[in-house]
Amino acid sequence: METISEVRIEEAAPVAPAKRTPSPIDQVWDFFISVKLAIFTLIILAIASIFGTIVEQNQPPEKYHQIYEDWAFALMNRINLFDMYHSWWFLLLLVLFTVNLTCCTIDRFPKMLRVVRNPRTKLDGNLEKSLSLSDRWKRKGTLSDWAAKYSSTLSATFAKPKVTEEGGEVHLYAETGVASRFGVYVTHLSIIIIFIGAILGNVFGFKSYVNITDGEEVSHLDTRGGKEHINLPFSVRNNRFWLESYPNGQPRKYASDLSVMENGREVLRKTITVNDPLQHKGIWFYQSSYGQAGGTTALVSVRRPDGSPVGAWSLAPDEPIPIDGYGTVRGVNYDRNFQGGGPALQVVVEKPGKPAENFWLLQQSPDRDRQRKDTLLFSFGGLNTKMFTGLQVAKDPGVNVVWLGCALMIIGIAMAFFLSHQRVWVRLAQGQDGRVEVVLAGSASRNRLAFEKKFEKIQSGVKAVGQ
Amino acid sequence: MSNVILFNLTTVLFGVASALYLGALYAKNEKISAVGTWVCALAAVVSTAALGVRWYESYQMGIGRIPVTNLYESLVFFAWSVNLFYLIVERKYRNRTFGAFVMPIAFFTMVFAVYNDSSIQPLVPALQSYWLHAHVITCFVGYAGFAVSAGAALMYLLKSKQEAAKINEGIVGLLPPCKTLDDLVYRAIIWGFPFLTAGIITGAAWANYAWGTYWSWDPKETWSLIVWLVYAAFLHARVTRGWYGTRAAILSITGFAATVFCYLGVNLVLSGLHSYGG
Repeated sequence: METISEVRIEEAAPVAPAKRTPSPIDQVWDFFISVKLAIFTLIILAIASIFGTIVEQNQPPEKYHQIYEDWAFALMNRINLFDMYHSWWFLLLLVLFTVNLTCCTIDRFPKMLRVVRNPRTKLDGNLEKSLSLSDRWKRKGTLSDWAAKYSSTLSATFAKPKVTEEGGEVHLYAETGVASRFGVYVTHLSIIIIFIGAILGNVFGFKSYVNITDGEEVSHLDTRGGKEHINLPFSVRNNRFWLESYPNGQPRKYASDLSVMENGREVLRKTITVNDPLQHKGIWFYQSSYGQAGGTTALVSVRRPDGSPVGAWSLAPDEPIPIDGYGTVRGVNYDRNFQGGGPALQVVVEKPGKPAENFWLLQQSPDRDRQRKDTLLFSFGGLNTKMFTGLQVAKDPGVNVVWLGCALMIIGIAMAFFLSHQRVWVRLAQGQDGRVEVVLAGSASRNRLAFEKKFEKIQSGVKAVGQ
Repeated sequence: MSNVILFNLTTVLFGVASALYLGALYAKNEKISAVGTWVCALAAVVSTAALGVRWYESYQMGIGRIPVTNLYESLVFFAWSVNLFYLIVERKYRNRTFGAFVMPIAFFTMVFAVYNDSSIQPLVPALQSYWLHAHVITCFVGYAGFAVSAGAALMYLLKSKQEAAKINEGIVGLLPPCKTLDDLVYRAIIWGFPFLTAGIITGAAWANYAWGTYWSWDPKETWSLIVWLVYAAFLHARVTRGWYGTRAAILSITGFAATVFCYLGVNLVLSGLHSYGG
C-alpha cells in the first residue's frame, strides 16, 4: 500500500512544480553553476592577490618584526599573510574557482552541443520575430525554382545552406563560425589543464639551488630550504665561471662552463648563460648568481735551469710553500704594472741556514729569474681568483602540460572573441496570389554591427538573383 | 641622440593633437578635430621613425637591441601604441571626439617619459632574450586597448548623465551616443584581453627559460594577474549577466587603474624581478 501511495505522490508532483522547493543537492549545484559566483571569485581572487604584493612574501621573521607591531605580526602570521599564495584559504579560493569553472562547463557544454548539432533549420514565425535582421519579398515562379536559385547564391556569398521542405514550405539554413561557440569551453578547459600541470610540477618536480666552485663537481642537492635532499643520477662539474662587462662597466654576460659527468665520464658539456640553461635527463640548470670562492692566489711554476719542470703551486698571500730539498717560497706582494713591465709578484725564498732572498717575478718575462743563477727557476703565471657559480636547478614534469594549457587558452580566447557564429535563414512559401513569398533573416552571436553590413550584402545579392 | 629629438617632437605633436581635439569639442568645430587627425597621423610617422632610429643607434653603439627595455622606452612605446590604436578606432567609428579623451593619455605619457633617463643603455644579462620582443609588445598592445576602453568609459559616464536628463547640448552633446561608447568600452577590451593573456604567457615562458619557474608570485606577475582577473570579471559580467552602461564603464576604469599600477606603480612602489624596468 505504501509503495503505491509513494508512486502517486511522485506522479502528482509535476502538477505544482513551482511550489516544490529544490532539493539541497540542487541548491548546491545551482550555487556552483552560477556566473555570479564566478564573477565574485574573480574579484575576490584579485583583491586577495593585492595583499601578497603589499606584504613582502617569505621573508625571515626578524624582518617582519622590524616592520610590524607584535600584535599585527601575530595576526598576519595567523592568517598566513607572509606566505599568502600557499595558504589554505588562498588555495581554497582557487579550488572554489576550479569547481565553479568545472560545474559551469558540465552544465552548459551539453546544452550548447545540442544546439550546435541540431540547429533551428526552419524559420518559423517565433524565430522570425526574435531576429532583428530580416526582409521579405515576393517573386513569380515556382517554389523549387527559387529555392534552388537562392541556395546557390547563399553558397556563393555566405555558406552552403541546408534545405528542409515541410508543409509546403522550403527552408534554407546556412551558418559560419560555429567554432566561436566552443571558444569559451576551450578557454575554461585550458585553465584546468594549467592547474593540472602546476600540480604535477609540485608533486613530481623540485626546485633547488646550488653553488659550485670552479673545478668542483656536485651530485647532491638540497631542496625545500634544506629539509629534503636529492641525489642526481649524474653529477655536474663547473669547469669555470666568468663574467664579461660592457666598456662602461655594466655586466654583459655571466657564464659557466659546465660538464655533465656520468660514471666519471663527460657526457655533455655546455657553457650556460642567463637565458640559456643546460638540460640533462629532465633536470635544468640555470645561471643565477656567482661569487668569489676563497681568496686570490698567485700561480708560480718552478723549473730547473735546463728547463725540466719541478712543479706549479698556487700561493696564498704570505703562506710559505715548501719545495723538497730546496726551501720555502711565499708570495708577499703584487703589482699590476711593476716598473712598466706588467703584472709582477714579489716572492721571498728561504733556504735552511741562509738569509732570506726576496725578488720580483714578471708575468711577461718568465726567464727573468735566470739572472739569480739559483738551482731552481721561478716564474709567475698570473693571479687566480677562484669563483663559484650559483645555479638554479629545477625539474618540472608538469611544465609541458602548462604550455599545452597556455596554447589552448590563446586559441580559446581567439575563438571566443574573434569568431562569430553567423546564421542566415530563408523561407519560401506559396502565396495566395500565386507568387512565392520569401523571408530572409539573419543573426550573429557577436559583433552585430559588422554582421549588419555583411547581412546587407547577402540581402542585396539574394534579391538580385533572377531579376 | 637624434631619436630623442624625434621623441620630443612626438611629445609636442601629441600635445597639439590633444589641444586640437579638446578645442574642437569646446568650439564645436569638426574642422579643428580633422586637423587633429592629421597631427596624430604625423605623430605616428614621427614616433615610428624615432623608434626605428633608436633601434639603429643602439646598433651603432655596439649594443644592438629592441627599444623597449627601460622605463623611458616602455613609456614611448606605450604612447606609440595608444596613438595607433586610437587612429584605428577613429577610422572605424568615424567619430573624432574620442581624441579629446584618448590623446591626452598619450601626451602625458610622453611628458612623463621626457623626465626620465633617455640614454641608450646596454642590456643586462637577464633581458638578453628573444622572449623580450614578444613579451613587451603583447603586453603593451594590451595596455593600449585598456587605455582606449577607459577613455571611452569616461566619455560614457559624462554622456549618460546628459542622455538621462534628455539634454543634448554643450561639449558633452558632441560625444557619440551612449550605445556607441558602450560598444567601444567592450570592443577595446576584447582586443586588449587576448594580448594581455599572451603577454602573461610569454612572460611565464621567458621566466621558465631564465629561472626555471614560470610563476613565482612576484609583484609584477601578481599585478598582471589582478588586471587579468578584473577584465575576466568584466567579460563574464557583460556576456552572461548583461552588465552594460555605467557598471561596465566603472569596471573598465577600475581595470585601467589596475593596469597603470601594474605598469608603473609596481616598479615605483614595490620591489621585485622587474625592477630594471624603472
